[in-house]
Amino acid sequence: MAQALEVGEKAEAGSREVVLSVRNLNVEYRAQRGVVKAVRDVSLDVYKGEILFLVGESGSGKSTLGYAVMNILPSPGYIRSGDIVYYVGGREVHILKLSQEEQRRFRWKHVAMVFQSALNALNPTLRIWDQLYDTIRAHDHHISREKAFEKAKYLLEMVRLEPERILRSYPHQLSGGQRQRVVIAMALLLDPEILILDEPTTALDILTQKNIIELLKGIREKLGLTMIFITHDLSLAAELADRVAVMYAGKIVELADVYTIFYRPKHPYTYALIKTIPKLSSVEEKLYPIPGSPPDMINLPPGCKFHPRCPYATTRCAREEPRWERVADGHFVLCHRWRELSLGE
Amino acid sequence: MSTVVYGLYKVYKNWFFRRLLRTIGIIFVTITLTFFIIRLMPGNPIEVFIASMMASTGMSYEDAKQLALAMFSINLDEPLWKQYLEYLVNLLHGNFGRSIAISPGTPVMKIILDFLPWTLFSVSISLLVSFVLGVVFGIIAAYRRGGWFDRIMSAFAAIVSAVPNYLIGILLIVFLGVQWKIWPIEYMRGAYSATVTPGFNLDFIVDVFKHLLAPFITYVLGTFGGWMLSMKANTISTLGEDYVTVAKAKGLPESRITIYYVGKNAILPLFTSLAISLGFIFGGSVLIESIFVYRGVGSLLWTSITSRDYTVMQGVFLIITISVVFSNLLADMLYGFIDPRVKTMGGGE
Amino acid sequence: MSVKHRRRKSKARRALESYLIVPLKVIVRNKAGLFGFIGIIIYVLMATVGPMVVPLDNQPKPNQMYLPPSWQHPLGTDSEGRDIFSQIVHGSRDVLFVAFLAGVITVVIATLLGTVAGFKGGLVDATIMAVDDILLTIPQFPLLSVLSAVMRLDNLLLATIIGVLSWPALARAIRSQVLSVKSRDFIEAARALDLGTRHIVFVEIMPNLMSYVVVSLIFAMTGAIYAQVGLVFLGLVPFQSQNWGVMINLAWTRGAIFFKNSIWYILSPIVAIAGFQLSAIMFSRALEEIFNPRLREG
Repeated sequence: MAQALEVGEKAEAGSREVVLSVRNLNVEYRAQRGVVKAVRDVSLDVYKGEILFLVGESGSGKSTLGYAVMNILPSPGYIRSGDIVYYVGGREVHILKLSQEEQRRFRWKHVAMVFQSALNALNPTLRIWDQLYDTIRAHDHHISREKAFEKAKYLLEMVRLEPERILRSYPHQLSGGQRQRVVIAMALLLDPEILILDEPTTALDILTQKNIIELLKGIREKLGLTMIFITHDLSLAAELADRVAVMYAGKIVELADVYTIFYRPKHPYTYALIKTIPKLSSVEEKLYPIPGSPPDMINLPPGCKFHPRCPYATTRCAREEPRWERVADGHFVLCHRWRELSLGE
Repeated sequence: MSTVVYGLYKVYKNWFFRRLLRTIGIIFVTITLTFFIIRLMPGNPIEVFIASMMASTGMSYEDAKQLALAMFSINLDEPLWKQYLEYLVNLLHGNFGRSIAISPGTPVMKIILDFLPWTLFSVSISLLVSFVLGVVFGIIAAYRRGGWFDRIMSAFAAIVSAVPNYLIGILLIVFLGVQWKIWPIEYMRGAYSATVTPGFNLDFIVDVFKHLLAPFITYVLGTFGGWMLSMKANTISTLGEDYVTVAKAKGLPESRITIYYVGKNAILPLFTSLAISLGFIFGGSVLIESIFVYRGVGSLLWTSITSRDYTVMQGVFLIITISVVFSNLLADMLYGFIDPRVKTMGGGE
Repeated sequence: MSVKHRRRKSKARRALESYLIVPLKVIVRNKAGLFGFIGIIIYVLMATVGPMVVPLDNQPKPNQMYLPPSWQHPLGTDSEGRDIFSQIVHGSRDVLFVAFLAGVITVVIATLLGTVAGFKGGLVDATIMAVDDILLTIPQFPLLSVLSAVMRLDNLLLATIIGVLSWPALARAIRSQVLSVKSRDFIEAARALDLGTRHIVFVEIMPNLMSYVVVSLIFAMTGAIYAQVGLVFLGLVPFQSQNWGVMINLAWTRGAIFFKNSIWYILSPIVAIAGFQLSAIMFSRALEEIFNPRLREG
């Protein structure tokens, strides 16, 4: 918690440089039953050098948002409307307006993704070296094998893997933790400014998780990256985040620095999420799950989407969608009643 | 580096050896099977041969038996197990006995070697082309799923693969040769024309390929449908895999993704069905070569059966089975070459 | 309608629904499956009822050779003036009989050996798999041809031998299903609930296997037709009666192939065979959907 405090204070400091700006983004999926509105009118600015956490349940839209930002939504998904702007390399890039070829060159060079690397994120029939070399060569045809090898070696060592052995191996010969590190190294190959991490630790055991988190902290220090970390596990945010955006039913319901989120949350959902994290320090321990289940994303309830599960819901919440309101500097919430409620420890 | 070599060697030896052992085992069983089929079936062909020799030439039983010994290369006087061993030894020396009806006295091996190359030639070219066609069309159909190519080709593939391949051959003759007269019938009989001299001259080679066309089309139509539908299904499911999304995210060129990320993974299951198809194609050659009067071991088997030439029949059946078994081994090795999981984990049985 | 009657569907009605109505719905929805289903029905009718309805035209009428199709002769006449259509109808019996018998034998042997191999494991399993391997590799048609040379293969014997040669593929699939199901969670659950082996086998394992079994039955049948017609065509099997393979053989040996007018004679049996194979394959896809609910769309 002490760490979070430190970082939280840094976040309050003056003007920040924006590297990525998402404006009124709508993402939908074509399903058999109808259209799933996975991301609904989301706007978000990401600041240079920060670690921003996108936290939410399955179906909240967090992963979809991450994929949309790079415009790599897999097939039944598509961006309905909105703008995504990158401020990198001294330029303002509207990625959705680029041609296919320009997008292909933009991706990985300026923004890269670290996937949840179950065995499936890596091609099972190619060696690790081939997959890394493929990536480097795709963006720079003229690079020599030696230079590519140097880069790969450098990055593998940075993620604390033994280059010789790893490069020669096939994915199935590596452990889960090793594969995750490979995927991280692979994302850093072209020195991107922004790194999006989609549930990178979910498939790993708790010890390996810790190692990866430490690794990521070190990398951020060393390379000065901006990171967007997508997860359902709020407790990880306490370890690593600068800011946290809590998502529910396709919208961001609360956005603030990590300290504020944990100690002064204003949205009932955020509060409920925090309460679900069991504490080792307490003697008597009841578990506090959130009652009910996430809404049907094809037929969403009227008004505030959280109201069916919210202990503080009123008739207004059932009728009217709340608006994005500013609580304090850098703290925003999507709730009618945030002023009246006093949530918190 | 040397530890890697040693490790690979040990593991490769493990998997490859087991495969080889299995191959030899099956060949051994086939040999035993043919040996006993000839003997223990009602109407023992050897006895029949002796009787007919005695009847037609007035030989004594002893003389006829000696003749049988020479022809079948077996000695009836000896105990069964000894006959079996001699049979095995003879086989290892390439002694398959002598023909008793088709070309009496000629060593069976010689006859087989005359016919075998044609079958290997026609079958391997057809299979190769069929496989490549099926794979390529399958990928295209998967990438342009629902498009006109997909719908037409998939329907065509489904219909054609339902018809037995030899019937397709007959239909080819009927329509291309007789009804519509597109391809001269002379080219649909035999492996080459009587007017051409065999050898490495252009005339001969062109003639051979002209004669190959009809059987080739028959083989290809009979098998490519299955490949195509299979590859299409595999490609569609591979396209949904995470590593393909990752590859696109990394900005890899489309061609590289299609070949090394989608293609390489989608094609793997096809190799197992390749082995099954091999047995089917060689088996079908009996029918197809008979229809086109093609000079291969398939039609030789048929001729030997209808003329009751048991020595040739035995030999050809053995050769056909051995060909199938070895092609299976080759297909397996090819699979192991492409799928690293087999190579490094010591066997995908 | 009184409230009491409407409250619960009776057991009989539920059974009727799941065994009859739902499969029918699936078949109708899947266009290819519907086509196949209708096709199979037509052939089955042709084989069972057909010969009683359509008399066999066995009289040679040399002056009516190779007539084109007409109302009296829907498929024309053959080289001796006999009606082709009646030959097709009568010929269906032989072909479908052998196909069905071979298919059933294959399924029975394969299910037996596959389950035993899967359940028992060890030496029993290894032996069965070895035999399976051998049968799978040795090319089926040449073996049948060789066997035809040393014994007289009538329909019954032929069907039996084909059945005996075709079990390996299905047995393998069944064995692997049994192996995977053996260790799966719901078996543990059944054991925990102390439901007994018989219950486990019939209620938990069998339904999963049904889709494989049914599809394999269809494939065994198409394979049997391939083999039977092929053997008859090559003249390796004695002609017993009217048979599509016999028709093709006669067309071939009597040079009907090379006449322009005799095209109906050669096409009829081929189309009949192809039609059956096609219907069988399309129907098997629908069957797969019925037995494997996960494949159902929507």
